[in-house]
Amino acid sequence: MKAIKNILYIVLFSAALLAQINLFAQAPPPRAASRPSPAIDLSGYWSPVVNEDGLERGAGSEIGDYAGFAINEAGRLWALSYDASRLTLKHHQCDGYVAPYQMRAVGNFRIWEDRDPHTMQLVAIHIWAQTTEGFRTIWMDGRPHPPAYAPHTYQGFSTGRFVGDALMVNTSHLKQGWLRRNGLPESDQATMVEFIVRHGDHLVDTTVVTDPVFLTEEEVRSDDFFRQPSDHGSWLYACDDGEEIVGRPPDVVPNYPLGAQPFAREYSKRYKIPLLSGIAGASSIYPEFTATLKTATDAEAEALLKPAPGRSPVSSAMDPEPHDGEIHVWPVSGNVYMLVGDGGNIVVQTGDQGPFVVDSGSGQLTGKVIEAIHKLSDQPIQFIANTSFLPDRTGGNVKLRAAGGDPSLVGSFFSMQFRDAGVGATIIAQQNVETRMVEAKLPGPGLPSDTFLDDRRRKYHNGNAIEIFHEPNAITDGDSIVQFRQADVIASGDIFNTTQFPFIDVKDGGSVQGEIKALNDILNRTVFLHEGQGGTLIVPGHGYLSDEHEVVEYRDMVVIVRDRVRSMIKSGATLEQVKAARVTADYDTRYGANTGPWTTDMFVEAVYSSLKQPAK
Amino acid sequence: MRFSRKATPWSVGLLLSVTAVIVSAQGQPPGFGPPSGPPPAPRAAAPVDLTGYWVSLVTEDWRSRMTVPPKGDAESVPLNAEGRKAAQAWDPAEDESSGGRCKAYGAAAIVRRPGRIHITWQDDNTLKAEFDAGTQTRTFYFGASQGQGGDWQGISVASWDVPGTIMTRGGFSLGAGGALDRGGALKVVTSRMKAGYLRKNGIPYSENAVMTEYFDRFDIPNGDSLLLVSTEVTDPMYLTAPFWTSTHFKKQNDAAGWNPSSCSAK
Repeated sequence: MKAIKNILYIVLFSAALLAQINLFAQAPPPRAASRPSPAIDLSGYWSPVVNEDGLERGAGSEIGDYAGFAINEAGRLWALSYDASRLTLKHHQCDGYVAPYQMRAVGNFRIWEDRDPHTMQLVAIHIWAQTTEGFRTIWMDGRPHPPAYAPHTYQGFSTGRFVGDALMVNTSHLKQGWLRRNGLPESDQATMVEFIVRHGDHLVDTTVVTDPVFLTEEEVRSDDFFRQPSDHGSWLYACDDGEEIVGRPPDVVPNYPLGAQPFAREYSKRYKIPLLSGIAGASSIYPEFTATLKTATDAEAEALLKPAPGRSPVSSAMDPEPHDGEIHVWPVSGNVYMLVGDGGNIVVQTGDQGPFVVDSGSGQLTGKVIEAIHKLSDQPIQFIANTSFLPDRTGGNVKLRAAGGDPSLVGSFFSMQFRDAGVGATIIAQQNVETRMVEAKLPGPGLPSDTFLDDRRRKYHNGNAIEIFHEPNAITDGDSIVQFRQADVIASGDIFNTTQFPFIDVKDGGSVQGEIKALNDILNRTVFLHEGQGGTLIVPGHGYLSDEHEVVEYRDMVVIVRDRVRSMIKSGATLEQVKAARVTADYDTRYGANTGPWTTDMFVEAVYSSLKQPAK
Repeated sequence: MRFSRKATPWSVGLLLSVTAVIVSAQGQPPGFGPPSGPPPAPRAAAPVDLTGYWVSLVTEDWRSRMTVPPKGDAESVPLNAEGRKAAQAWDPAEDESSGGRCKAYGAAAIVRRPGRIHITWQDDNTLKAEFDAGTQTRTFYFGASQGQGGDWQGISVASWDVPGTIMTRGGFSLGAGGALDRGGALKVVTSRMKAGYLRKNGIPYSENAVMTEYFDRFDIPNGDSLLLVSTEVTDPMYLTAPFWTSTHFKKQNDAAGWNPSSCSAK
């Protein structure tokens, strides 16, 4: 019996051995297409190693030190115009770091995984950076990036996957920020690819930044981190803005005139290297530049400190509007939505009353606009507010009005006077909107039926306080912004957009000073959520959903161009001389156009003309 | 019914059998069967192709790499007092005349010199990295090191670093993760270098320095490939802490720009 048992042991053990041999003799099972590559554990507490670029990452680089960056003319001039005093402005004091720069920040980092509690699939990897409390989420679940009209943030929208031994991350929807803290800009059009590898307790993040606005080729840098064994308890970066310079006029934005940066030569003089070193752009990245340095003269580099003569480049920015013949709905906040697709952005507020709509688009797709609104609310459109008389604000008025109704008028005293009271939505606007539309002989049913003259019109609707503020002489003489208080949303109309220089219609009452004031009025009504972003959201007339940071950068641009034109006017320059000076050179690759309804020259002329006119 | 507390040969056999299956099935990366012959040569086992011409992208530490910084400028380098003293003693003219002109082209600094690298397999066990800056060659030996060192490039021992490998350490490691499709990096440990400079302005490392490097390759969506060299230099003589840098290169299709030059102390 015992012998039989022993034989059975041997058979059983042999079977087990055979089983394992068979197991490994077969090819590995094919991986399902949807199965992600196995994760590499990046989690833990990490601290940056600052054995490279210590000055840049510590005290900050000198003005004029842009060596190793493939900057184009716009990037170079933007940086040379930068004045660090800009950070004393209330709306810049808490600026966050954009992701490419965030990863170079000193301070502590933490990385952790977020897994589905049921399947344990990796959903996201999070990175927390102490400096500016930068919080990144890298989505690992295969979700797509949002559309171009979605909001931008300092950290952008990131998706990742494991490739080889690296976590590869794609980031879009970044805000405008720094590539370097001495003012070297990164635009809101930048995207970033990263490769994060871990070798033991050494983590390296290689960042590849593409920026069509300010760079001529990808910017590759890498940041090292070492693993901390325990929580050091230092994670926060408190910031609230305050008055740093009391009594400063609101239209001041510290900047240096083009070609007049007093510290441009500081870097080269301090280190006894050619002026070209810091401003050459892409060529400075490659080994051949060491030979260039031996023959470079400061005289030829001086030309790079100001705009090159000639025709201005045009915008390299992505058009955020879909142009696919469809209306796209983006939820903004609470019961407020942004409708994109019919020329200008439309805002819709819904609730237990009829929708309150801000602007009606160009009128090309009004049928689809109405369809989209009906999906948001089963009530008829009750109010339409026009932020100006311009065609991209009022083009859909007639059809949109006809598709709605204003039950607040039915059975009221208005019914005694107007037989059609309440038939169709009520159109609200500042009086000059109606005046301009009448002058333009636009059809009566599309004209505002409820106009106001004061600087503020208010209405409580759909459970939300709505305020309409007149902004005199901004784009035109009838502009308004519309604020939804509870939802914390402002519809700016064409006063602010993310796609072009402001359309200042001087002949219809617009002016650069009024535009600056209007932008500052928007900023006076915003509250950021965290480190200068989020909180109050701004729906621009054109472009992507924004917050105060986009408005601040836009305001800065208008002020800086205004300063340059005003300075030239003071010195007696003609309009042609101002245009030839390329006063928008650092913004042309972002907003410029040489053809179409609103060119760079037209904007410069509008600034010039409004400054030459007596103040309104 | 009574249960015996004594382990019977049956139960022990069963346990051993099941254990054998589990350990074998899970203790190794899937697809890695029992060895059926000698392991593949390092060249065949390479998880990443590093060969070709690579041009350095000098986007960090630009001034200390593209120019010769002033004496004593050791920005970002964790020098100790001895190191600072040695840096102050830097005399490029003396280096030129006394055979020290290649001091900034030694293994611990050569990847930081602006230039190009040409990486090839010298044989199935040896990778060769030629640098046009200073016309230097580094040899990465998989397995036993060869040579005595004591020159600028020292002795470099190479291995493949595949961080995704699931470790068992005697226990069970259940799961299908592991080295499949993992890729990996080249790890190189270099020692026995002749004393030299981390930077051209005489920032020193000693003959006791040991350097650990990882070579990673990344393919970016625009079609370019990047080489990342992550470096840790430890030197008890001159450094207070390990000196970490990460240096990147872009792949070239050919030898364009390959320009072997001689060392220069200035």
